[in-house]
Amino acid sequence: MKNIRRIISAIAAAAMTLSFAACGGNGGDTASENTDAANGGTAIYRTLDDIKSSGKLTIGVFSDKNPFGYIDNNGEYQGYDIYFAKRLAEDLGTELELVPVEAASRVEFLETGKVDIILANFTVTGERAEKVDFALPYMKVALGVVSPDSAVIASEEELAGKKLIVVKGTTAETYFTDNYPDVELVKFDEYNEAYSALQDGRGDAFSTDNTEVLAWAMQNPGFTVGIESLGSIDTIAPAVSKGNESLLNWINDEIVTLADENFFHADYDATLASVYGDAVDKENLVVEGGRI
Amino acid sequence: MDNEDVVIEVKGLKKSFGENVIINGIDLTVRKGETVVLIGPSGCGKSTLLRCLNGLEPIQEGSVLLHGEPVEYGKRSLYKIRQKIGMVFQDYGLFPHMTVLDNVMLAPLKVQKRAKDEVKQEAMALLERVGLGDKAKSYPSQLSGGQQQRAAIVRSLVVRPDIMLLDEITAALDPEMVHEVLNVVLDLAKNGSTMIIVTHEMAFAEAAANRVILMDGGVIVEENPPEKFFKDPDTERARRFLSTFSYSR
Amino acid sequence: MRGYEVLFAGNNFLRLLSGLWVTLRISLISIALSLVLGILLGAAMTVKNKAVKAVCKVYLEIVRIMPQLVWLFIVFFGLTRSTGVNLSGETAAVIVFTIWGAAETGDLVRGAFVSIPKHQYESGLALGLGKAQLYIYVILPQTIRRLTPNIINLSTRMIKTTALVSLIGVTEVLKVGKQIIDANRYDAPDAAVWVYAAIFLMYFIICFPLSVFSKKLADRFK
Repeated sequence: MKNIRRIISAIAAAAMTLSFAACGGNGGDTASENTDAANGGTAIYRTLDDIKSSGKLTIGVFSDKNPFGYIDNNGEYQGYDIYFAKRLAEDLGTELELVPVEAASRVEFLETGKVDIILANFTVTGERAEKVDFALPYMKVALGVVSPDSAVIASEEELAGKKLIVVKGTTAETYFTDNYPDVELVKFDEYNEAYSALQDGRGDAFSTDNTEVLAWAMQNPGFTVGIESLGSIDTIAPAVSKGNESLLNWINDEIVTLADENFFHADYDATLASVYGDAVDKENLVVEGGRI
Repeated sequence: MDNEDVVIEVKGLKKSFGENVIINGIDLTVRKGETVVLIGPSGCGKSTLLRCLNGLEPIQEGSVLLHGEPVEYGKRSLYKIRQKIGMVFQDYGLFPHMTVLDNVMLAPLKVQKRAKDEVKQEAMALLERVGLGDKAKSYPSQLSGGQQQRAAIVRSLVVRPDIMLLDEITAALDPEMVHEVLNVVLDLAKNGSTMIIVTHEMAFAEAAANRVILMDGGVIVEENPPEKFFKDPDTERARRFLSTFSYSR
Repeated sequence: MRGYEVLFAGNNFLRLLSGLWVTLRISLISIALSLVLGILLGAAMTVKNKAVKAVCKVYLEIVRIMPQLVWLFIVFFGLTRSTGVNLSGETAAVIVFTIWGAAETGDLVRGAFVSIPKHQYESGLALGLGKAQLYIYVILPQTIRRLTPNIINLSTRMIKTTALVSLIGVTEVLKVGKQIIDANRYDAPDAAVWVYAAIFLMYFIICFPLSVFSKKLADRFK
């Protein structure tokens, strides 16, 4: 009986050690650890040559963000990001493995080298750029303003003195608070509350990301996106693990080269056009050759 | 006297919980066929003495011998010795997940490795004897307290112990059930079972005992045959103790 | 397209079922491992050694304080980061749910052991049962019966919590549901109700019999 107790204590102790080790790993300074790994010769990422020789390119994408990355009713990946991902693998001459990721875990997938590239509607920010390396952008997002057909607001000047609906915590709220103090903001917690407020006429217009309002206006006859691009422009770009230069350079070259065939315009036509409609100016969304 | 007759022999037994001395030097010899009844006020150490006799408690001084073999707490030999000592507790201690019959048959089958048919026959006979023949397939929770305690007695008897230790076996029972249980014990006493019984039932003690022992403060105060003890005790302490059981207005 | 049609469009229903299988596979393996480790842990928690007790208690508290989501990140990403070990999402999920399940099971086992009255041990010993026999025939069967309803409750909780694994790239039934809803967001905006109803029904079909079973057992031990 004493032996059994000793064994049990040993197991319990081992389990504790393991969990503490795991905690330490997560809590530590991730950037420096990655550098350590790279210096130690065991880089966490795969270089371009590694990928080529393995014959498989792994890309993290969204699986439920129509129309950027989603899985259709036949179980096939579709969307603007997927269209590009397929082309990357094709041009690299490898098979393509798509890994479903969530917004909250995109950075971690790259930091741990579990995917080679993230192509998941990944907006470039300074904070993220400290942890991952962004390639040239292939899309851009700004604010859009949607209003009823009966009283379309087509320019920023027309907003003066009007009631503008925004969702709390979004870029739109900050932007209008800072730049248009004379616009009366009507704030909501949820997107669906904001949209029903617009439909009920509790506000004159609604502003959030242009990709969002464009798709919504397409689905809701009687509303038009009068302003398709407003405020600071955010870019969306592929990202690779910090320090993976060979892959980063190759993607950048690829984006520049693809401009010759207007690749992302074709991508837009194939994946976004049906969602945003023909009336939308593609140039407000598509970035070709990495030039904004 | 013939030493062969001695079942259990206690010499200079001392037992304490930390600073608290519970048993302070006890000598006791029980012979084959004897029914010894231990009485005394609460906390006098009588229950603890019983628990020391089958090694449920460690002791600090002295020895307990069963047929000359030492009963020692924590020793491997204890498991063998305990088969010769039956013990019934205040709170029945039947195993709730087994039928009455399975409770009774567990030790003979698993400890003594006896043949199943033989054990079952004996178990049923004993259950019949205590009036539980029809309850063999019942679970303890379906039995009254008195029935459970009778089943617990059978469970100890079926192992064919050399001595039975009964620790306040009626203390948790409703008054009307006390009788049915004590009748079973009385029957055992008449048929020559060797027993040490801790009880507060004075009428029963008088009827069942060959010898009555009064304990107080961890020592034996008086030891006498029942006819002497209850009619004309030697000690003032015994008289005082007995007076707490009688009423007059 | 109408909402309910989405359920059967393409191979959507089959995908939901295979998502359900992922959910079940992760939870069932985790539950099985949790039982084995949890019983050892529970036994360790009942020993008299104070150090062992303290270690077990700390383990239990740490597991309880940290959300399962954090554990998933620690094991899936953190382990790769600190040791280079690259586990598959499903393996990481099984490890996390086992760490959690073992802790909870351990506590339940401890509770069940403690709830066995002292006289059950003493009655067994007084009958001459050896220590192993005492546990096999007397203590364990009672412990297991007290334990079963609680373990089943824990199991249904674990099945439901596996929905978190989509964060580490594992596509379980709820994620498949979100994918189907999203793929059809423009053609069938009301698909969500139907898809979630279908998933609810699937969870229900699995968890309800377990709940009923555990309730029956619980009643039997009142």
